[in-house]
Order: sequence, then structure tokens, then C-alpha cells
Amino acid sequence: MLQVFQLLVNGVMAGAILAVPAIGFNIVFAVLQISNFSIAALIAVGAYAGYTANVLLGLPPLLAILAAFLISGAAGVASDRLALRPLRGYGAIAVAIASLALNMVLENIVRFIFGNDVRSLDVPMMRDWIFEGIHVGPQAVFNFLVAIAAMVALFSLLSFTTVGRAMRAVADNPTLANIKGIDPEKMARLAVFLGMGMAGIAGVLLALDTAVDPTIGMRVVLSVFAAAVLGGLGSIPGAVVGGLLIGLAEQLSTLVVPVAYSSAIGFAAIILALLLFPRGILGDR
Amino acid sequence: MTLAASSGRARAAMAGSIRIGALLPLTGAGGPFGPSMAALHKQIVDQVNAAGGIEGQRVEYSFEDDQTNPDAAVLGVRKLIDVNKVCAVMGLWSSGVAAPTLPICAENKVVMVAIAASDSLALQKHDGYFFRSNVDVGQQGEAIGNWALKQGGKSLFGLLAQNPFSEPMRLGLVNTIQPKGMKAETIVYDGRRTDFRAEVGQALQAKPDILFLGGYPQDSIIIMKEVFRAGYGGKIVGTGTCVTQQFLDGVGKQVSEGIYTVRPSSAVGSPAYKNLQKLTGKTDLDTNVCQSYDQINLVLLAIAQAKQATGTAVRDNMRKIGDPNGEKVDNVLDGLKLIAAGKSINYEGAASPCKFTPTGNLVSAIFETLRVADGKLTPG
Amino acid sequence: MISYLVALLTFGAIYALLALGLNLMWGIAGMVNLGILGYYALGGYSSALLTMHLGIPVWLGVIAGALITALFGAATCIGLVKLRDDYLAIVTLGFAEVMRNIAENFVSLTNGTDGLAQIPRPRLGVTGSDFNVVYLVICVMVVLVVLAAMERLRAAPFGRVLRALRADPMVAASAGKNVLGFQVRTLAVGGFVLGLGGALYAHYLTYISPEVFQPQLMIYVFLALILGGRGNNYGAVLGTVLVLAIVEGTRFLADLVHGLDAVQIGALRAFVIGVAFIVVLQKRPHGLLPEPRRIYTDPAARS
Repeated sequence: MLQVFQLLVNGVMAGAILAVPAIGFNIVFAVLQISNFSIAALIAVGAYAGYTANVLLGLPPLLAILAAFLISGAAGVASDRLALRPLRGYGAIAVAIASLALNMVLENIVRFIFGNDVRSLDVPMMRDWIFEGIHVGPQAVFNFLVAIAAMVALFSLLSFTTVGRAMRAVADNPTLANIKGIDPEKMARLAVFLGMGMAGIAGVLLALDTAVDPTIGMRVVLSVFAAAVLGGLGSIPGAVVGGLLIGLAEQLSTLVVPVAYSSAIGFAAIILALLLFPRGILGDR
Repeated sequence: MTLAASSGRARAAMAGSIRIGALLPLTGAGGPFGPSMAALHKQIVDQVNAAGGIEGQRVEYSFEDDQTNPDAAVLGVRKLIDVNKVCAVMGLWSSGVAAPTLPICAENKVVMVAIAASDSLALQKHDGYFFRSNVDVGQQGEAIGNWALKQGGKSLFGLLAQNPFSEPMRLGLVNTIQPKGMKAETIVYDGRRTDFRAEVGQALQAKPDILFLGGYPQDSIIIMKEVFRAGYGGKIVGTGTCVTQQFLDGVGKQVSEGIYTVRPSSAVGSPAYKNLQKLTGKTDLDTNVCQSYDQINLVLLAIAQAKQATGTAVRDNMRKIGDPNGEKVDNVLDGLKLIAAGKSINYEGAASPCKFTPTGNLVSAIFETLRVADGKLTPG
Repeated sequence: MISYLVALLTFGAIYALLALGLNLMWGIAGMVNLGILGYYALGGYSSALLTMHLGIPVWLGVIAGALITALFGAATCIGLVKLRDDYLAIVTLGFAEVMRNIAENFVSLTNGTDGLAQIPRPRLGVTGSDFNVVYLVICVMVVLVVLAAMERLRAAPFGRVLRALRADPMVAASAGKNVLGFQVRTLAVGGFVLGLGGALYAHYLTYISPEVFQPQLMIYVFLALILGGRGNNYGAVLGTVLVLAIVEGTRFLADLVHGLDAVQIGALRAFVIGVAFIVVLQKRPHGLLPEPRRIYTDPAARS
């Protein structure tokens, strides 16, 4: 029983981290109706931005996270402008495929600059806190709180600010929004910036918890996609629910299936879930 | 048909020039390992050329990125053989790259000196063109098992990444310690993930006296951090592939303190190893770099011994440069001088003594035990 | 140079089968499938295992591998049809991941990450580099046969229904077409072609391992199809040739670069490939050979 509780705790912690880039993926999808698969490379860009800020410039983790948000966001906007926007008129799948090529380009820019070596951020290693036999890591708690804070900040932005409401209007109905005088292109840029910025934050959180190498984004991205799809493409609350469910499924599955299969389990679960909810759990599109 | 057959003749006509090549992973799972191997190969070729080459001929070195992937490897090796006209291919870090390229090398009479650990490679039909610079993985498992028995605990838990090393390693280890009454449990995990909490949880739940890490540095760093956070108090031992300088830098001094590694070595502080330390300017060398050093030295010395740069000549002279009655040699420059003077030599490498069985495996291996102190590996 | 080119063209022919299979599924019928390598691997593994363990002749193994993949393709259809494009893209991507995971861990069947080595080659009465040339000729002939078959299928009423499904499944359904039946048959035929490619691959390399699930290959096949012209079978083949030319061309470009370390050269090569793809996509978004369409011009509109 203790083990189940431990896995539940681990699953929620891991799920919250997964939810951050999943939200990023979905916010881009909501406004542009495009799956931008280069989010994997932007997770890596964020992780290395955080590494540069934290290790090379000596900044504390919170500033490294902020730096990663800004740099991944900016890199996302720039790469979208150069590579993907010219293709938007030719169908969502064409853009999605191009974003796979873009992912290759971005990941290799990172590799060109930093090499393949595995690096760690400069944070103290702390032992877990143990409550009634349940292990909880201080770093994991910090990361969890940052993930929650990032999500709350994003929700507030979308719910309570003019620009956030404008963005949601574009997501709901671009034509109508245009009539109301909202520039859809500006909103698209903002969505990409926020979405890829979230990916950058996730990159640093993963780096803090684990280590950095150019494939860091590729290592998690399938779980991120799974979370985004399960919750419903384009749905931000859906991404949170999806992230948590995937995090929990991957952990709890280890009770019954050998650990080596856990990455497959997540996806097998999705395929089953989508048989029941073809638009994801909270998807409406 | 005559077109395709012409490549063999073209190579024979170029017997004068010395062309060697390597197939190395610069991207993909092997990405962290290939670059330092390529750099070392080049460094040694430059040394040899600066000293006047072999028999007055310059050595030309080419390498291809195998992307840790069979398709890229097959095209890469075809290019090395056909376009660069190499007589030997070195590197071959992963089994997935060595397995499909070995038949091509054998068919074109090109020597392959590989690191890849899969048992099945030496068993393939290769007409003697296959050599492996890496110590048999089963033996590595046994060595770790023997170390564990010496520590005297009751149980060991192994965390192994799913790769071609894992099964022979596991068998060597388990079959060594299980009969002596020590309990051995292992799990195999998918090393491409970032989250290994469940794996570490399962391992620590068994409360083992010894924890064994059998992955690559990338995943082992993450696992080790998790093990530290969980407050594990037992002994930890890792393979030579796992406990590298990269691993130590990645986990940091605090976490790495006291970790053991049992790894193949020609002998602690062998002349070749020391020479390699000087050459690279690094005190701790992982097995891949040591093996790359042996690979290129063996190939160049075999060419000098044969006075001919063809695959068949390299194959036939690979064992002659390990003459037990010859003068001991630990670097290529000394070896070349001795061969030019008509002396018999005995090359002893940085990763192993470099003596091969008829199927191309290393005859025997010596293992060393090291312990991490203050972020560095020290004799343990 | 010759045997390098022979190897390159053999891979080209095998990849062309992937592009043709995908063209039927996605190009013509509109069902996007990022899991094509799952089918490819299934065909390869099936044929390899059948020929290794049951000792059946290679050609029979190849056909059996393709048929098994066809059945499997039909079966996967049941889970997929209800999903919209974007969902389908991600779910099929995950499907390939599940297949890779099984290939890696179901060691007793697949030999895990070690892969299956020494897969028999067909007996062609020749050895050495002659074998490679004959094998290339066989692969090219297979591509031509498949190309001809796909062209007939596209022009047949079956192909017209598929294009109608791509445009709007609802309309096709209300026109009395059994949508599911058509989609099952499409994935079965497409699966057959992909499995055929995988089987030819396994017996060419004499080796198959979970490395067949290389994400780049999936990207290359999609790009080949978009580059050549989605929906156009000739375009699928032409696109494959072009993609291979870009990918392998950079191999020689790398020889010209100096002053960079090995990782940087590897990274630069991948960077150049990616940029080349994006540029070509932007310049030719409909591909070099756009899908042939019957264009009806309204006489009244002509002035």
C-alpha cells in the first residue's frame, strides 16, 4: 500500500512537469490549429538556456527558469516565422511534418554549440524528506511548485487580461475575432511565444531534476504528446488533466508490468482512452 | 556485374597509399562517445604523419557518422570502402552498427576492429576479418560478481539499461554470485527516458547491500541522483561504460563519493594507459577512448608489419604484432621504429593486452577496481 | 563508388516502397500515419523470423511478412478511424513507439536490442558484389510493380472513393459508401506495401533490430512524399530519390568542412538536411509532381 502511495506521489509530481509543455503544445494548437512537433527541441533549448544562466553565469534557478522561458519563447517565435508560417496555407499536416524537420534543425543547433556531453545544473543535492515512509524530494517539490506557478500565471493571463481574452477569442473563432479588430497574426505570435516558453520552463525543470543533453526533449516528448492528446488537443485544462493521468499511468503501471515497458504503457492507455473519447477527455474541437 | 567487381581491383592498385577509416556514432544513442574517439584517431594519425608516415607513405584517415543506426552505418561503410578505399574500419561502437556492416567488411576483405559487445558478432562467418577490442561482456559481469562476493553482502540489485550488453552482463553477474549464496535481482529499464523513480524505488525496496549500475552515463546520472536523494546507504558499483568522467561530472562530487567501478584494464597504470593519459591530457580515460587507442595502433602497426595496406595483410599481421617474444610496445611511434629496424614487437594496449582468439575476441582480460574519492577515480 | 551507389539505390528502392505505402494511406485516402515504421518493422521481423526458424524460402517469407503486415494494418484501422487528423498523427506516432518498445523487450521472440543477425539472403546464384546488383534489380522491379499497381488502384473506382473520403468522410458515407470497409482495405493494402519494404530490408541487411524505428526515417519518408507531390505515386518515388540525394549529399559535404570537431560536423550535417527540407517545402509546397486531378473548366467562365 505504501508503495502505491509512493507511486501516486511520484506520478502527480511527474505529471505536473509533463503538463507544462503539454499546455504549451495545446495553446499553440488552440490558436493556430497546428501540431508543432519542434516543441521537443525547444525543451532542449530551454534546458541549455537554463544551464547557461545557472552554471555559466551563476544565476539562481528561478532566474534560470525565467531566462529559459524568454529564450525558448523567442526561439519558438523566430523559428515559426522563418520555417512554419510560410507553409500554413498548405494544411495542418504539412506544417506538422515541417515542424519535425524544424525540430531536427533546432536540436542540432544546440548540439553544435554545446556538444553531446551530459551536464548537470549547479544546485545542491538534497536528501528526500520522508513522511510516514513516503519519500518526497525537496528538488521535486520545488519543481512541482514552479510548474504550478507557471500554470497559474498562464491561466491568469488568459482569463483576466485583455490580451488573454483576445487570444481565446481567436482560438474560438478567428474570423469573428478578426471582425472585432483583433490581429490574429499578433495573437498567433503570442501563443507561440507563451507555448514554447512553457516548453523552455519544462526544459529547466527536467534539467534540475535530472541532467541536460541535446536529446532531453526527445526523451519526454512522447509523454507530452500523449498528455496533450489525452486531455484534448487545444484544451489547456485538458493538458493538465492529461499530464497528470499520463504521469500516474506511467508510475502505477510499474506495479503490474516490467518497468522497461512503461513508455509503451502510457501510449497504449491513450489509444484505449481515445476509443472512448475520440476528441480527448476535455477536448471540444 | 563487372562494374561492381571493379572496386576490389581498384583497392589493390592503391596498395601504396595507406587509407584507414572509422565508423563512429556522432549522433544518436552513441553520440556522447564517438567524438572523443574520432579526435584520438586523428591525433595519432597526425603523429604518425608528422614522424614521416609508414614506410614513407602518409596515412589518410576518414570517418563516417553512423548515427548509431544500421542504415546510416551500411551506407557509411560502403562509402569508406568504395570511395575512401580503406583497408580497415575501426570504431563500431554499437552492435546495431557492427552486425549489418561486418558481412560487408568480410565480403570486401576489409578488417573490422569493433567495440560492439554482442556475442553473435564473433560467431558470424567473417573469414578472420573481425577483431574486437572490447572485453567480453560476460567476463565483465563475472568480474563485478567476484568483487561483490569479496564485499561480503547478502544481496545485490542490478539496474541495467536495455541494450545489447544487458543480457550477457546479467548472466555473467548472476551466475557468479548466485551459486555462492548471494541473492541477485535485476531489472532492465528503458534508458531513453528521463524519469527513473519507479526503477530506483523497486531497487531500493529490495534493500540490497550492493547496488549495481549497468547503464550508459546519460541514464545512470539520473538514476544515481535519485539513489542519492532516496538516502541509499549501501555500496554502489558501476560498469566501466557507466562510471566515466562524464558520469562523475554529471552527478557531482557529493553524490559520486564512494562509488566503485570494476572495469577492464590492461593493468592499472600500464605504459600504454599512461601514454594515452599524456596524449589526451586527461587522468581518467573511459574504455571507449582506450579501445580507440588500441584499435588505431593495432591497425597501423599491422600495416607496417605487412608493409602493405590491404585488409588481408592487416588481418594476417594483427597477431604477429603481439609476439610474446617481441619487444614490448605501448605506442605506435616506437612500434613503427622497431618494425622498420626489423625487430619483432609485442603491442600491449591501454584497454587490454590485445591478444586475439581465432574468432577475433580478446583472449583474456584484466580488471581493475576503482573507487571515487573527491570526484576522481582512485585505486580502490 | 559503384557499390556505394548500389547500396544507396537499394535503400532508395526500399524507402520508395515506404513512400508508396504512405501515399495510399495518407496521400490518397487522407489517413495520416506517423506509425509507418511500425508496419515496416513488422514486415521485416515477420519475414526474418519465418525464414530463420521455419526455414521457408526467402521469397515466401517476404510475401508472408507483407501479408501479416496487411492483416495487422486492417486490424489497426478499427482503433483509428474515429480519430481526426491531428489526433491520428500523434496516436500513430505513439503506436510506433509501442511497437519499438515491444521489439526491444520481447527478447525471446525478437532477440531484443541485439537484433536478429544472420537473416538468410535469397539464393540468387551469385555472390559478393554481384549479389548486391541483382538484389538492387529485384528491389527496383518490386517498386515498379507496386507503382503500377498503385496507379491502377488510384485511377480505379476504389481510388476515387478514397479521394472522396479524404475530402469529406461524411459526404462519402451519405453517398452510400461503406467508409470503414474502404479504410480497412486501404490500411491493409498500404500495410502490405510497407511490410514488403521491411521484409526486403531485413533480407538485404541480413539484420534487423529495434533501430529500424529511427525517427529520421519516418520524417524522410513524409518529406519525400510532400516533396514529390502528395497523392501522386510517381511523385512518391521521385521524392524518395531527392530526399536521399539531399541526405547522402551532405555526407560528402562534411568531408569539405575543416576546423570543426566531430560532433559539430555531425550536427552541421543534420542541420543542413533539416534546413534543405524546409526550404524545399516552402518553395514547392505542392511538390514537384502535384496530384493529377481532373479539372473541369466552366465554359461560361472563359471569356
